[in-house]
Amino acid sequence: MSLKNVYVAKTLDEVLNLLNQYGCESKLIAGGTDVIIQLREKEISPKVLVDISNLSEINFIDESEDKITIGACTTFTTIAESSILKDKLKGLVQSAESVGSPQIRNAATIGGNICNASMAADIVPPLLALDAEVLIESKAGKRRILLDHFLMGKGKVDIKPEEIVTAITFNKPKNREALGFGKLGLRKALAIARISTAIYLSLDEENTCRKIRIANGAVGFRGMREKEVENIFIGKQLTEDVINMGIEKLREELNQRLAGRSSAEFKTTAIAGIFKKALLETANNCKE
Amino acid sequence: MKDINLKINGKSYRLSTNEDMRLIDVLRDELGLLGSKEGCGEGECGACTILMEGRTVNACMVMAFQTDEKEIITIEGLSNGEQLHPIQQAFIEIGAVQCGFCTPGMILSAKAILDKDTNPTREMIRQGISGNLCRCTGYAKIVDAIELAGKLLRNGGNNCEA
Amino acid sequence: MKREIVGKRAIRVDGHSKVLGKAEYPQDIQKQSMYHGKTLRSKKPHAYFKLNIDKAKNLKGVIAILTAKDVPYNHHGVLFKDHEIFCTNKVRRVGDPIAFVVAENEKIAKQAVEFIEIEYDEIPGVFDPIKAMEQSAPIVHKESNILYHYKIRKGNIENAFKQCEVIVENEYRTGMVDHAFLQPESGIAYMDENTVVVCASSQYPHFDQIEIAEALNIPTENVRVINPAIGGAFGGREDITLQIHIALATKLVGKPVKTTYSREESFLAHGKRHSMIMKYKTGANRQGKLVAMEANIIGDTGAYASWAPNVLRKAGVHATGPYEIPNVKVDSYAVYTNNPFAGAMRGFGAAQGPIAYEQQIDEIGRKLSIDPITIRKINGFKVGSETATGQILEASVPYIQCIESVGKALGLEQKEGIR
Repeated sequence: MSLKNVYVAKTLDEVLNLLNQYGCESKLIAGGTDVIIQLREKEISPKVLVDISNLSEINFIDESEDKITIGACTTFTTIAESSILKDKLKGLVQSAESVGSPQIRNAATIGGNICNASMAADIVPPLLALDAEVLIESKAGKRRILLDHFLMGKGKVDIKPEEIVTAITFNKPKNREALGFGKLGLRKALAIARISTAIYLSLDEENTCRKIRIANGAVGFRGMREKEVENIFIGKQLTEDVINMGIEKLREELNQRLAGRSSAEFKTTAIAGIFKKALLETANNCKE
Repeated sequence: MKDINLKINGKSYRLSTNEDMRLIDVLRDELGLLGSKEGCGEGECGACTILMEGRTVNACMVMAFQTDEKEIITIEGLSNGEQLHPIQQAFIEIGAVQCGFCTPGMILSAKAILDKDTNPTREMIRQGISGNLCRCTGYAKIVDAIELAGKLLRNGGNNCEA
Repeated sequence: MKREIVGKRAIRVDGHSKVLGKAEYPQDIQKQSMYHGKTLRSKKPHAYFKLNIDKAKNLKGVIAILTAKDVPYNHHGVLFKDHEIFCTNKVRRVGDPIAFVVAENEKIAKQAVEFIEIEYDEIPGVFDPIKAMEQSAPIVHKESNILYHYKIRKGNIENAFKQCEVIVENEYRTGMVDHAFLQPESGIAYMDENTVVVCASSQYPHFDQIEIAEALNIPTENVRVINPAIGGAFGGREDITLQIHIALATKLVGKPVKTTYSREESFLAHGKRHSMIMKYKTGANRQGKLVAMEANIIGDTGAYASWAPNVLRKAGVHATGPYEIPNVKVDSYAVYTNNPFAGAMRGFGAAQGPIAYEQQIDEIGRKLSIDPITIRKINGFKVGSETATGQILEASVPYIQCIESVGKALGLEQKEGIR
């Protein structure tokens, strides 16, 4: 390791100054559950590590009239235990609960999970389904970008060396709206998702789908919205037939995307069950 | 080198660490606290589980410099001299110890469970130890032991006949 | 007679030290002025190689680099001495040990391993045991890749199949499995006057002593093996790994030498459960009574034999499971390939077979519309049964009781024709 200097930042200003000074020679570390492995495997070799795990400024879950904002350094344990998120945003809580193990969830953060940009990142599909925005700061100023645009590919996000993700923000579910989540791993704990799916649903009184946003994880080079599938549902009642049509479309999409991969057959088969279960749960949660 | 202040098992330490050291390296190599075990080095096995600020973390997944000013409890901090902690007593009593390599980490995860609730359901216990692997596969006994430990703690004592 | 032990809960002798975190595993042992060792391992599955250690040797803090040249007797192995302690000029699997660096600390040792220059001349490898059995396959050791062939012949299989009402036939494959014992290999060796002392977790310390003495070419009385706390083994610590390396090193440099494997190196270092390819054909009469079974079992032992003959013998002996079958033909083989080597693991060859024969039994039942519990009760071993190898089971054969309890627990008992 060519590590020369390490800093424990206490304020966001301090972080912005350090990032400005060291740029691409620096790496932020929060929970450390990805960074430390990358350091030891020599996948990264920064000269400077900046610890941001003590930054209370970006460790919060904030609820306003129509928005929820989660600080980038909020751990999965905090998200899983949040009373703000527990009802209509159950999908977010479930995805946080499905991350790693208690030890990992106590350390790992939502910002880290997004910036690490794994194709199987657990928190990404729910946030995509929420149409979340990423708040970014640098010494030069602030900017916001849709998560869908922020994620560029496997291990790649739209961030400059002197920038830091400070928070994730999204609209609060309104009446008869909810977020659901489903994950298939090799086992319950410490399993990287083989497939994960998240559904944001808005139903009217007749059970007709007003709005739907679907996002899947681990079935592409990054978490992805399934807009073609969404189109099947919009304006229709969630009948068995419509659900099956949606599933067929979803399998078609996956088949194309995973073509040539050894996991294609398994994943296109398994997605049907995972998706249907998550959709029905979400629909129920809309009505409650 | 980076100077850090640590509070481990109630005792204060001031030490100089290499930038690339992890907490597990400091505990084992610098402080001789050998009860924390390294089984995988990537947060999968939980053998290096310790309590930091009251929560379980893998000591292999924390850089040493990040622990500056943090309060840490390791397996060495559980017993009072030769007087075992009720969790330790229960692990022996029930036979939840086999090869023993997972035991220190398992006991600290148990402590985190029981610190929250001394009367957890078996499901809560299983969730709570889901980040700790036991390759001897003695999970049933471990869950039994944590249940017994909860009972001992509720009775406010160490008496295993309870 | 008063029972003092049986039926009583015993407190294990090492329980106290283990819950306190005081039990001493090899990685916990520290010695004054000790050196650290690190192994260079093959990155190629089948290759000749040339080594240049000059650059590594000149690294500050490197004390010694051991290679095949430094080993008086460069062979070891539990059944056959087919492992080299350090490969001389050929590697047979990814992970084969080639050299051992001794340095002032672990960091330098690791760096020195990266500084060792190695030039591979790759040769074709064989990774499929079926291909490895063919005449034209690359040879892993000398002569044939077929290391062992075990046979059972009972009754007349050809005639028996002709009389069967139903016959099922299938091929089953099981994968290689690692023990993943929680404590990765670690050991420390030091000199006590003329005696080489090796502390390392082992399942076979008395045999380790012999192998260390042979390799160092010293009398066994000059080798002492201490077995500290063992963090799981499950068969994976029957073959020697680092013990000879650290013994050679301490004898050479005179100071204590310690090495601790990472999880990754642990996976490379020790044996695995044999992956098996099992071809089965089973026949039964109209009543569901098994008449004949034919099994062909191929175990991939990878680059080294380890316990393969014993494991594949056990796989053969147990090939018919706990069932009475009058006509049996079993062939089991252990085959060398360039895969990771396989040896002992819980069950020792008896764990793979059930995946095959139990599915055969289910399949027979399905074809005859007999439920899984009943088909097993019809055929299961009881007192007086004769096994495929001709053993008469004289006492304590509770299989039928067991399967009845399983049926009850599953709530399957009263139903008929369960699928």
